[in-house]
Amino acid sequence: MTGEWTRLVAVTWLSLRSSLRGWRLAGLSAFALIPTLIVVSVASTHPAASTLSNSAEALFGLLTLPIVTMVIVLVLSVGQFRNEIDNETLLYLSDRSITRPMIVVGKYLGSLAAALVLVIPAALLPLAVASWGGGNGYPAVVPLTVAAAAALAAIAYGGFFLFLGLVSRAALLIGILYGFLWEELVPLLPGSAPRLTLVFYLRNFLSTELTTGPLSGYPAPLTATASILVPIALAAVFVVLGSLAFRYLETAPERESA
Amino acid sequence: MTGIVDADSVTKRYGEVLGLNGFSATFPPGITGLVGPNGAGKSTLFRLLAGQLRCDAGTLTLLGFPAWGQGEFRRRVGYCPEHASLFDWMTGADFVTTLLRVDGFPRAEAQERALRAIETVGLTEARDRRLKAYSKGMRQRIKLAQCIAHDPQLILLDEPLNGVDPVGRAHLSALLRQLSATGHHLIVSSHVLYEVERLTDQIVMIAHGQAIAQGDLHRIRDLIDSRPHMVDLETPDPRGVAKLLGAWDHVVSIEFTGPGKLRVLTRSPEAFYAALPALVVTEKLDVRSVHSADDNLDAVFRYLAGGGR
Repeated sequence: MTGEWTRLVAVTWLSLRSSLRGWRLAGLSAFALIPTLIVVSVASTHPAASTLSNSAEALFGLLTLPIVTMVIVLVLSVGQFRNEIDNETLLYLSDRSITRPMIVVGKYLGSLAAALVLVIPAALLPLAVASWGGGNGYPAVVPLTVAAAAALAAIAYGGFFLFLGLVSRAALLIGILYGFLWEELVPLLPGSAPRLTLVFYLRNFLSTELTTGPLSGYPAPLTATASILVPIALAAVFVVLGSLAFRYLETAPERESA
Repeated sequence: MTGIVDADSVTKRYGEVLGLNGFSATFPPGITGLVGPNGAGKSTLFRLLAGQLRCDAGTLTLLGFPAWGQGEFRRRVGYCPEHASLFDWMTGADFVTTLLRVDGFPRAEAQERALRAIETVGLTEARDRRLKAYSKGMRQRIKLAQCIAHDPQLILLDEPLNGVDPVGRAHLSALLRQLSATGHHLIVSSHVLYEVERLTDQIVMIAHGQAIAQGDLHRIRDLIDSRPHMVDLETPDPRGVAKLLGAWDHVVSIEFTGPGKLRVLTRSPEAFYAALPALVVTEKLDVRSVHSADDNLDAVFRYLAGGGR
């Protein structure tokens, strides 16, 4: 590996390990289990096989994708810089020979990997529980599409929230408002307004890939390729913007002087 | 200016508060002590040098490069911060190795260098322990290990002896002298003058965000010695002692500062300290403590900042 790759891998690995630790890991893991627990409770009422399968699938579009995944990615991404600025551990990276854009990319990849560790099981476990708990089995395309949509959400939300964490001390609050108001309400508006949300593209992707079942019913005016490329492009834009912002960002905590 | 670090009229504000106020100094090769009381601006200067902060005005360079910058030259600089936290979930060896990897060292070389640096700071036995279990002194030493592990040309040490036990201090002081002897340049900050005196004669004194004196410590001491010194004494008979001390021609004034307490202002501290023991013996005086108030660095700074330059 060249020096640049070594640096990038080191920051990514450090970021991944920092993200998945202690109470944060425990809390996010418990949060990621909510859809699974809901499916378990539905299964315990012994519904019809199709009802159980459809419930688990629908839950992904209603809860796992727009809320569980979004919150997990939010928590993991906004803390990447803000927490480390406040306790001054970021200086161990910023005073080294690694470039600041490389730190941003490494932290993005590390937080993305950490998010995937949590959101992929959060997306797939409910389907598995429904299948094992008496529901109909799913064709392979369903879990594959669901996992891909969760990964796409982590990629896109991750870039945006990382940028927020770099430019604002209120990133967590802004992220929550964005996730629960913008992403939930704007898709209800008529016309092209829903295209201003990320969840629109994620649901479009689900609908284009799945021809039957609850996840196939979302509006899908775009091709699958477009619904994949737009979130990835947005993530790339925010990572680039974050890199630019970090080049000019002072990384000493504000509370201290002299 | 051609120092290892050059500061020219550097100003740094924290909102309304001035961290540095037109700080100008040249740090020559070798060990330089940056000495000043708490809040003088030492850590601000280090944060500017480490690229954590950006100057509001003036220019600051290290090894000829702008301090607010990145790139390969940062491999030639090591920084040991005073306050920064550690990645507490890591072991000491993991911490140093990881940061070497961030500097681009291949894994095997990073591990080898980390072990060597950890051994140098005397933490070999604790290298596999988690950092959260380290004492304050051990944390200080592991920060020093990460600072020297990549063999930097310039080493910035912000209060490196703070919190270290006496044995550790002696060890670290010897290590810093050894680093200097092997061609490294060090800037060591401290609010305790005698700590720096043991390391170097070359100092920059800072107060209120400005360099108030710079150069050879002995010259600065001579400057300080040309002014009256304060000496505090404790005795159950302050009036009797004051009467005898008042007869000495180098004593400028005597002040009763509290029950059983005297403050003497003398133009010749050397003569004062030489004559006092004999006076105590011959006059059978009960002097319970003698304390040079001017040994307190704050007093030195008050004097220099007050126009002694």
